[in-house]
Parts: sequence; C-alpha cells; structure tokens
Amino acid sequence: MADQGQSPDIVTLTINGRQVTAPKGTMLVDAAKAVDIEIPIFCYEPRLGPPVGACRMCLVEVEGMRGLQTACSTPVADDMVVQTESEVAKDAQDGVLELLLANHPLDCPVCDKGGECPLQDRTFRFGPGETRTLEPKLHFPKPLDLSPLVALDRERCIACYRCVRFSQDVAEDGQLTFQERGDHTEIATFSGDPYEGRFTGNTIDLCPVGALTSNPYRFVSRPWDIKNTPSVCAGCSMGCNLEVTERDNEVKRLTGRPDPNMAVEEGWICDRGRWGYPALRSADRIPHAVLVDQVGRRGVLLERALAEVAGMLINRDLRIGVLLGDPVTVETGFLAQELAERVGDGRAMVRRTGIPGHGLGPLRALPGAQMDELDAADVVLVVGGDPASQQPVAELRIRKARRHGARVSMVGPRPSALDDACEVLRTTPGHLVDAIDVMRDRLLGSSRAVVLWDEADLAAEPAAAAALAELVAATPGARALEMCADVSGPGLRALGIPAAGGLLQAIEAGHIDVLVTIACDPTAGPEGTRWATALEGVGTIIEMGAYVSGLTDRATVVLPLLTPLEEEGVLVSMAGRAQRLRPGARECEGAAAAWELLVALTHRLGRAVPDRTPSQAFSRLAQRHSAFAGLDYGALGTEGAVIAPVEATGADAGTAPAQPAGDGLLVVPCRPVFGDADAFRSDALEPVREPARVCLAPAEAERLGVRTDARVHVRTPHGEMVLPLEVGSRYHEGAAYLVMGDPGTAAERLLPMDGGAVRAVVGVAARQEVSA
Amino acid sequence: MTVHELDEFLAPLRPQYADPRSLILPALKHVQEETGWLPPDAMATVAEATGFSQAYVESIATFYDRLYVEPVGRRVINVCVTLSCMLRGSDEIFEHIADYLGLDGEGTTDDGMFTLHKVQCIGACDRAPCLQVDAGEQIGPLEPADATCLIDDLRDEPAPARYCR
Repeated sequence: MADQGQSPDIVTLTINGRQVTAPKGTMLVDAAKAVDIEIPIFCYEPRLGPPVGACRMCLVEVEGMRGLQTACSTPVADDMVVQTESEVAKDAQDGVLELLLANHPLDCPVCDKGGECPLQDRTFRFGPGETRTLEPKLHFPKPLDLSPLVALDRERCIACYRCVRFSQDVAEDGQLTFQERGDHTEIATFSGDPYEGRFTGNTIDLCPVGALTSNPYRFVSRPWDIKNTPSVCAGCSMGCNLEVTERDNEVKRLTGRPDPNMAVEEGWICDRGRWGYPALRSADRIPHAVLVDQVGRRGVLLERALAEVAGMLINRDLRIGVLLGDPVTVETGFLAQELAERVGDGRAMVRRTGIPGHGLGPLRALPGAQMDELDAADVVLVVGGDPASQQPVAELRIRKARRHGARVSMVGPRPSALDDACEVLRTTPGHLVDAIDVMRDRLLGSSRAVVLWDEADLAAEPAAAAALAELVAATPGARALEMCADVSGPGLRALGIPAAGGLLQAIEAGHIDVLVTIACDPTAGPEGTRWATALEGVGTIIEMGAYVSGLTDRATVVLPLLTPLEEEGVLVSMAGRAQRLRPGARECEGAAAAWELLVALTHRLGRAVPDRTPSQAFSRLAQRHSAFAGLDYGALGTEGAVIAPVEATGADAGTAPAQPAGDGLLVVPCRPVFGDADAFRSDALEPVREPARVCLAPAEAERLGVRTDARVHVRTPHGEMVLPLEVGSRYHEGAAYLVMGDPGTAAERLLPMDGGAVRAVVGVAARQEVSA
Repeated sequence: MTVHELDEFLAPLRPQYADPRSLILPALKHVQEETGWLPPDAMATVAEATGFSQAYVESIATFYDRLYVEPVGRRVINVCVTLSCMLRGSDEIFEHIADYLGLDGEGTTDDGMFTLHKVQCIGACDRAPCLQVDAGEQIGPLEPADATCLIDDLRDEPAPARYCR
C-alpha cells in the first residue's frame, strides 16, 4: 500500500538472484518494479487502498514459504529470497492466465481496449500461448449499459475488483458490487439501476481488460491510430492532469494520466472533465473570423481581421479596454498586458472577469497547501463552497483524508454530496462568521490542519474571511487551500491584473472606444444587464472567443480562439500550481490561440515582440513577475511547480463588499461544473447535466405560494429572469439557492460584480413569462 | 417487514458478531422466511437495518443459491443432480417431475405453487436419488411414482406460515 506511512527502515532481499533494498512495508511487486523486474498484475492498484489479491496473477516463489505468494500483498522482509521467473512461478502464471481466459471471449479485434489492454499484453508476455479448454465459453448478452456513459461487457470481465473498489473505497458511492459467484460473477448495481456518479469514468481507466468501456468512445478509434498528449483540464480550478487522445485532428477521448500527478488529482478525473470534449465540435463553435465593415458582415481570413484590428488599435485617439475571461492562460494575460503597454500613452487597460476578492488578502497570505497534504492532515476543514460540485476531484481527496484518519468538517450553507463523509455544520446563508467558534473548536489541538476555503463565499463575507484568516494563522501547522471560482483567476492575479469593475466604470463614463474581449462575454456574467447597457456606448467591440456569445452579433471583429485542449500555455490551479497545457488536437482550422493573436497584433502595431512561442513568453513573464520567478517550461515539467504567493497590487485594492443589496431572500450562488457551459455543449454529458434553477426549502416555497414544479420569477438589483424551481428539504429557509452555469440562461447576470452578497425577490412567474 | 421489525430481530444478534457485515445473512434469511423470496424493497429494508448499501446487500443475496432474488413458488423442489443421485437416475426423476408440473426444465408453475430446481449434493447419497422440499428433510430413494405422490400431497398442504428455505 503506497499511501501507508513508510518507515525509514530499509530491508535487503534477493529477487531473481539480485540484491534489492526496499523500505519496510513495500510490497514485493513494487520492490521488483523498482529494479525493472516486472511481476504481472491485474488487480493491484495502490490508489484503491490495501491490496486484495483477487486476480492471483502475481504469484511468485518465496523460499521458506509454503506454496506460492501473491507479490502484491506480500511485504518485503530481510533476507527474503524471491523467484519470479522460476519454473514453478512461470507455471503458476501460465495457469492463472489460462483460467482467466477460460471464459474470456478473446474478441480483441472488435474490442475498444484491444492494443492498449493489460490482459492482452500480459497474455502475450507471460501467458501459455494456447488454450487447452475445449468446453464452450459462457456467453452474456453484450454490451450492457452500466450507465449512459459506461458500457459493461460481462464476458470480458476477469473479476479483479478494481471498479468495485473504486466505487466502494474511493468514490465511496457504494453502487458497484459483484453479484453471483464463481464463473457467473458479474459487476452490477442494485436492481440494475444505472451507475450514477460524478466519477464513473475512472472505472474505465482502471479496468485492465475490455469489460468497462466508454460509450462515447465506442468503436471510435484504435490505439495505433491515435496520439496521446498529456495536458491539464480547464473545467475547474482543481487543475487535474489528463491525457488527450487525438485522431484526425479531433479530440476523441480524455482519460486520467497513466503517470498521475500525485500532488493534484492522483489520476482521477471527474466525468465532466472526461466527457466535456464534444463541446469542441458543438454547433456554436466560431469557425472563422468575422468582420463588419461598409460591405457588411462577412467571414474573412484571420490575417485580414487582424489587420483590421491592428488598424483600430494604432489610432492614437482611441482608448482601449481588454477584458480577459475564463479560461485564459497566463501567457495570454501577460501578452495582453504587453500589448496594452505597447499601444502606449496609457491608452489601454487590461482587466479580468471574476471575483475582485477585496478582503481575501489575509487568507491568501496564509501558508498554502497542496492537495496531497490532505493525505497526512489531522483536521480538514471546508469553509463555504461545495467542492463535490465545484471542484469534484477535491471531493475524492477529502474522502481519502478521512479514510486516513483526518477529522473532516464542512461549514457552509450548501447541501453537499460530501455530507455523508464529514461533520456538517450547515450555516445560515450569509452567516459563516457565526460559525467561527465551531471552526476554532475543530482546529483546536490540530498540528497538520488543512483549511479549504471558498473564494466566492468568503469574498461575499469579508468579516468571516478576516476571522478565518486570523484563526488559521493562530493554529500551529495549519495551512490554507483556496477553492477558486474560476480557472484563470489564480494565474491572472499573479500577473497583477485587476478585476473588471474599473473597466465597466470607464466604459460607463465614455472613456473606452474599443473593447477587446478574450474568452468572455461580460453581458452573461455578473451585472450582465448593466454591462449590456454600458456596451451600447462602446464604438467597437472585438471579440476573441471559441464559441458564439451574446457579443458575437454586436462585435465589429470576431476572432476565433482555440480552446485549452487545443492550445499551449500555462494554467495556475487553485493550489497555486502552474501546469502546462499541451495542444492535444486542433479541431478548428480557422482559429488561433489567444497568445498567437496577441503576438500578431503587437507585431502589426510595429513593435517587435521577442516571443515566438508560449514557452518564450512564459520565460519572459517569469522574469517580470515575482510569483513566477525562476520558472520556465523545463522547470514546470510534467508535475508543474507551485508559484509564490502575491500581494494584492494597488490596482486590485478596494473596499470589500458590505451588506447584501436588495430585498427578499439571500442568494446562495451554486456553480456546479456539471452545469457549466461545456457540460451543455457536450452531447455526451446530456444525461448528467445540472440545469440552471432556483432551489428553495419547502416552507419557503409555501410561504411564497409557488408550486414545486413551477417556474419562478427571480429579481435582484442586477436583473431579473424566469427560472425552473426545485424544492428540497436540504435547502435552508430564508435563502434562494441559485444554480448557475447554463449558457442559455446566464443566471450569473443576477449577481453583483464585486462578489458581494445579494438578495432576490422570488415569486410566481406570470403566464406569458413561462411560455416565453 | 419494516426496518423497525427487522431491527428488533437483529438486536440480540448484534453483540454476537465482531463484524457488522455478518448481520446481513441472518437478516436476509429472516426476511425471506416471511416473504418467500427477496424483492428489491426487502433488500432495501435489510440495507437500512444493517447500515450497508443496497448494492452490497444484493451482492450477498446473489452469492447464495438458497436466497432467492427472483420470485419462487409456494414450495421449492430441489432435485439433487450430483454424482450419486445422477448414477441412480435423478435425471429421470427430474424429467418426470417437470412433465408432471408442466414445466420445460427448471422454473415455476403458472399457478405459483411450485418451483423446480436442480441442485448440487444435498448430503444424502445413501438415499439417492433424492430431493429436498424447501429446507426440509431429504427425501429418497425415489421412484418416479413417489415423486408424483409427493407433489400431490404438497399441493393439498396449506401454505407454510414461514418459508424455511
């Protein structure tokens, strides 16, 4: 078991006649692997917990021990003499493989796993070569949909228990089990219900045979026709490492990394991350540049559109605003800053969307933690937010911390899928600060506490942020980990790019003539209605975006962007880890990466840019920004590197939001990743999407006189809209839980830009509103 | 059966087992004695009373042949087909019973009276060929005519108060 505390004691043993040293507690299979001796395995997977010895593939001969031993569950001992290739061991491996294949259909030519299948590989390498079995094999109808996303072929299963252990011991959803016994053993859920969860796809990565396969990837490609590229998921701020499978310039599949980043995601990815890639081919992808001029609105070559934009930027009378959205890489942020500088005369300002976070300074100044520090934590305290829905893989790390003995508590207003795994203190919305005594009590006496705090919730409650920062600072050994609301935020803040408030004011004051948006549509974000009104006064809008937005029709120039799965660059995760994106495919021929467009524009302004690649841009930004000091692409490697914390710059300073604005129920914003824009663009995720809606407690719905299946009218000082209603006893009275993300609804518009709290009046929607 | 009733049944057993997983089997048997088989809601009741997931309870139930997760008749007739019985003609006995009940091999009669199963050794080789009705005494050695009489007798018997299978 790799996650056991390794004692410093070293033992010496002999494997196949070679002297081997290994730390006490190491399993034989790992000790052998360390010296390049391969012992075949199927069920052994340390990330799933202690070994179970289910498949019997790893039998080896140990002198002095009766019979053969399973190398996956036999710890090393001093003076042990092990034979993995002796006659007896070879005979056992042959025998086990022969039996594992007794009912295996050997339909490799039509199996999605064929060519990248451990069973296939080990049969070739260690197996008997031919079968002596004459009896007919067992047959099952195939495949069976374990869920809409995961297909199960029961004939191919070798009953290794990996998927069952993942469900029982990692995701802890308790859904997958084995039914029946012997050769009739099959993977099943209760009563054949679909396997529901947010992590189901990991069972496909874990399966060492072709029993569990991905429905969206079914019969799509062969391992020898594809190219795999390691990259990073831009679906949430967790920054999970993943592998992009490309064929014919299309992303065909995303999987967890075979060499996981143990400090981040440990190889697990959520289903939203895994099956979000069909979004790249959604109908609203912008295929080519668009230009509006005297001739009219028409598609043009990128070069032509860039020349047009450069012509506008070079005009010394025009004042320019650049707004960076989500997700954009740090190189894009840096090159946007450079462009603004080179435009000259202080004519240009660069801002970012997202929460300003005034008042979060003290929390961000605390000693930071990486996700793997949760494994050794004695106390884990989650303050606000809901990692299970907003940063799903963090849920798995928190569950693991609990299994390792940490006392896990969750303080906040939202119901969570993590509730069963921790001590829950459900606070009244807007009153996190009231729970500070409970938090103090939980941290008391801890020496390795990790406090995960939610950016959005604590930005809305500066008093709680200050109190929590003070509490964590006073707790010896405690570390903080921010759960960021957006993916770009940590990187762009490290570059000192302030939030968009000042830009909006400048636009409203008539001080902006040209607005360049990069991967964002502020009219669909917080205070979107105010933005929409303000933008009417902006002469020219230049939109750089991958997907059609509310701005696209209004923009004078539209420049199509590549998405994070297609571009190169660096994203900074919520734990401050800078990690490299590597282009996995290029689905949109006419599009370019934002950094390329910015370099091209700067050139056209007549200023030489030394950067030809994101790598050069990154090296240069590392020289200019202390957070990235000493880093370059080489230093980031495959594991990434943690950047230094930054102090809030002058431009970012401001007053923290005060009392909630408006009347009615306090809004609790919820941003589930399964309800975000890509989840709605990806047809594969259709069965598991979370629609935008308002959630109320039953008593609250009754008080307001709204029926449970009704649509309700929601109004805040920043806008109003009609949304579906969900009534559930898990929600607090006196609050409206606003589930956002669905681009068709853009419910974010109801929120304030300062990230402060807001109240909403919720009522029955008028008939014409419902039909509209 | 309600969760509360099952809890009352399990209360005296709890201290006897070091691992609470051991409670699942007696709980399943107890529920089956009342309903004759284990419909999904019965397994859900066991899951709630023992504190394990429904899927895990079902995995235990499917492991054992004598826990029935499909509906069975009022009486279950288990005909032994292992070596001793087979050598002494259990296949003929089985065919005869199936014909008499109007079944094509294993299965349950349309009137819900009988379920006929082939089973492995029931530990009465000295009385081969033999069969067992529910969890009753092994009956044998049998002639085809004996089996027919046995079924006629069973048909006249009232339904058992509890299904011991």
